[in-house]
Amino acid sequence: MIPLAHYLILSGILFSIGLAGVLIRKNIIVVFMCLEMMLTAANVALVAFSRAQGTAGVPVYDAQVLSLFITGIAAAEVAIGLALIVAMFRARRTVESTALNSLKD
Amino acid sequence: MNMIHNLPWLFLLLPLVVAAIDWVCLNKHPRLAATLSLLSAAATLGLCIAYLTGLQTGTPGVYTWMPCSLEQLCLHLGLVMDPLAMRMMLVVTGIGLLVHFFSIGYMKGDPSNLSRYYAGLSIFMFSMSTIVLADNLAMTFIGWEMVGFSSYLLIGHWFNKASAADAAKKAFITNRVGDFGFLLGILLTLGFFGTMNFADMAGKAAGIAPAVLTVTIVCLFCGAVGKSAQFPLHVWLPDAMEGPTPVSALIHAATMVAAGVYMLVRLQVSMGTEAFTETACNIIAWTGAITAIIAAIMAVQQDDIKRILAYSTLSQLGYMVMAVGLLAGEAAMFHLYTHAWFKALLFLGAGAIIICCHHEQDIWKMGGLTKRMPLTVLCFMMGTCALIAIPGFSGFFSKEAILDAALSKNPVFFWIGAGVAALTTFYMLRLCIVAFMGPARDHGAEHAKEAGFTMALPLVILAVMAVISGYGFIANDLVPFNGFHAHGFALGLPFYVSMGALALGILLALAIYGLGGRTKDPLAGNCISKALRNRLYIDALYDKVIIGGLQQGFAHVMEFLDCYIIRGIICQTLVWFTVRIGYLCSWLQCGSLRAYTLVSAMGLIILILLLAYQF
Amino acid sequence: MFETSLCQILFCVLAALAILCAIGVVAYRNPVNSAMCMAVCFAMVAAIFFGMGAQFLGIVQLIVYAGAILVLFLFVVMMLDIHDEGHSKSIRWHSCVGVFIAGITAGLIFNVAISLPGATDTPCPVKTLCASAGELLIGDARQVSAEPTACTQYGGALPELNAAAAASMENPSISAEEAAKATSISDVKLIGKCLYTHYNIPFVILGFALLSGTVGAVALARKIRKD
Repeated sequence: MIPLAHYLILSGILFSIGLAGVLIRKNIIVVFMCLEMMLTAANVALVAFSRAQGTAGVPVYDAQVLSLFITGIAAAEVAIGLALIVAMFRARRTVESTALNSLKD
Repeated sequence: MNMIHNLPWLFLLLPLVVAAIDWVCLNKHPRLAATLSLLSAAATLGLCIAYLTGLQTGTPGVYTWMPCSLEQLCLHLGLVMDPLAMRMMLVVTGIGLLVHFFSIGYMKGDPSNLSRYYAGLSIFMFSMSTIVLADNLAMTFIGWEMVGFSSYLLIGHWFNKASAADAAKKAFITNRVGDFGFLLGILLTLGFFGTMNFADMAGKAAGIAPAVLTVTIVCLFCGAVGKSAQFPLHVWLPDAMEGPTPVSALIHAATMVAAGVYMLVRLQVSMGTEAFTETACNIIAWTGAITAIIAAIMAVQQDDIKRILAYSTLSQLGYMVMAVGLLAGEAAMFHLYTHAWFKALLFLGAGAIIICCHHEQDIWKMGGLTKRMPLTVLCFMMGTCALIAIPGFSGFFSKEAILDAALSKNPVFFWIGAGVAALTTFYMLRLCIVAFMGPARDHGAEHAKEAGFTMALPLVILAVMAVISGYGFIANDLVPFNGFHAHGFALGLPFYVSMGALALGILLALAIYGLGGRTKDPLAGNCISKALRNRLYIDALYDKVIIGGLQQGFAHVMEFLDCYIIRGIICQTLVWFTVRIGYLCSWLQCGSLRAYTLVSAMGLIILILLLAYQF
Repeated sequence: MFETSLCQILFCVLAALAILCAIGVVAYRNPVNSAMCMAVCFAMVAAIFFGMGAQFLGIVQLIVYAGAILVLFLFVVMMLDIHDEGHSKSIRWHSCVGVFIAGITAGLIFNVAISLPGATDTPCPVKTLCASAGELLIGDARQVSAEPTACTQYGGALPELNAAAAASMENPSISAEEAAKATSISDVKLIGKCLYTHYNIPFVILGFALLSGTVGAVALARKIRKD
């Protein structure tokens, strides 16, 4: 079987790519996708640990429940976030994150 | 539970409680307030008479207000019940009661809040009793400040009048100058005598260096200078006449201004006369003498009846202080006691005249009052006779006592005293001639008629006291000094000189003012008169030099510090730095989502390093 | 042995695909392409979940992420008709910074992952992982690091799933023989049991969060009437 480390490395790489996307991309929808990717990476790590921490071959299901919660919250977040993006696009006709600096002035 | 030994505390508690009730509850019921205050004054007088006639209740309890691990630093409140205090209490409560009574007539129909007035009187009775009965200097000081406060309240009773408000402020602030010295003196006493309690001070002066004693006594004397309105700080007393006349009689003639003299004599009795070094005595005596003489000179050219009396009070207080400085405490207290009665009489008489002349205070607008209000004028004349020391009146005996003491100690003071006596005779006769004789010069005086019962009764009682209080059969029992023996008639240099001064004053007054035919002052118009009317420019000097010069100069310095050092340099530098730091930090708030994410990511890295690698 | 290596190969392929697609999400300039890449990436992750025996989570991952959320993204992208991002120097500079930061993060996580206790012979550089929970709470973990073998279960392959134990855990009343007959774990039941007992209240709260999210989304996205 595959050692825990591999899952963690996969999770870390996915997370870092998501982070890089958030840092690099200007399009706020893509930034949002990258955020989702970071959450998924966390899910991978959680499920892997649930297996690793299990006793007698039974995973720790608390971790999986937590990952389920993350999925649920992510769904709610996407709903709100996309609604915000739509509202923002209506107001400014753009989805560039660089346009969101009116509070600075 | 036998609390009878705490009965003397009623002297303090009764007026205090009444004042609180008057002030807080009875704002809408001035008559009730007046009745309560009158009753409390009567009760304290009754208590005082009971004690003087031999009531014994044991030692009153001592209350420790502020405990301290060091015994001598504790703040005790205790009462001293020796004859000195009790007889002084008789003066305070006796005149207090008469003034309360007089006020009912005097303040009738006054539009101001009379409950406040009576509450002020009661507060004053409380604070004055505190001074008189205090068994230690700290408690004296508390009473000292309290009388200053009540004096402030009562001078400024008609606070709508700008001059009254200013006078109240002036009295309070001038007293503050003296009180500062007094406080220093109390601390020095505590330091060198090791106690503030009068009873424990005896005999301790012997072991203290004379220079230290001098400084201590002079500092304590500063308090008396402020409260008894002696020479450098005398300016507040004439202005204090802006208050209601009964207040002037009670506070600014009979009792409060005498508190300085009382305090000095109390110190002399408890510390022993050896504590009063020669330098200190000289300072005290000269201050008194200078006050007596310049006040008498200034009184000569005043037109306001109350101001004449105020300067006369100053002058008589100078006498008393001079006597204290000559280590003649018994003479000082004798004069304090007789002066309290006849000066209260004069002020209340002046009050009656002012009311009857429709609030006219200028003696040149009076005249012819002898016919219209004979009783008041008669009482006033009795007071005048006592003041100018006509033989047989009380003032004669006490003034002789002071002159005697002066002659035996230092003849210079004797001659000063004699000169002041001549001046006193002159200005008092001037007042009487101008105000009472000749035709009425104003319609206020034309329509004057005798004062009512509430005003006449105190006048009569005081007039009787003004005559008889100097005789030995009364004075020996009532003069506030232990083992006092009244001064009888004695032919000798003092008697002849004072008779000469009296005659000189009478002759001069008659020569200049005749028998009341004049309509304006023949002495007015020249530069000396102008200087005297302007109070020898002392007030103006204070205004210009101390307020205008020192205070303004100091204010300029402070303004410079404020504007340039604090605001200019310190604040501006701080502002500059803050602005720079703000600008430096503002790149963090660039408004770019990505930059924020970058910072968050760095924070994430730091978190990993901290949590996982435990840096 | 063969099975193990097959598993490994499968995992490597899936992981590589997932990473490639993730890079695609970031790299594609067209948001539609990004969204498609994300779908593939999430599907691969779901497959990895299946491989770990977490079938229920894998299915949820597919349905919620690759299904619902992706459709939402695509819908918004289409609706807003978003153009490509343009090239500019600042983009390149930002890319460098972003890649650098992400690299550091990845490196750190990589280091943590390979130095898990028991995975290597050398003492673990990650002090937290070496200490048991109780010791961590009390204080300085540096002192604990003297015993690098405090917990070793992270080393080596993940433990095999034990269907029998899971079955007896799922239903404690059955006998050991019956439990031994179980061939696969029905993790839906186990998760459900956990969810509706221990995590009942948070689960309800999560339901409210979703409800308020829905209401909020409607409130935000509707047209604001001017009057």
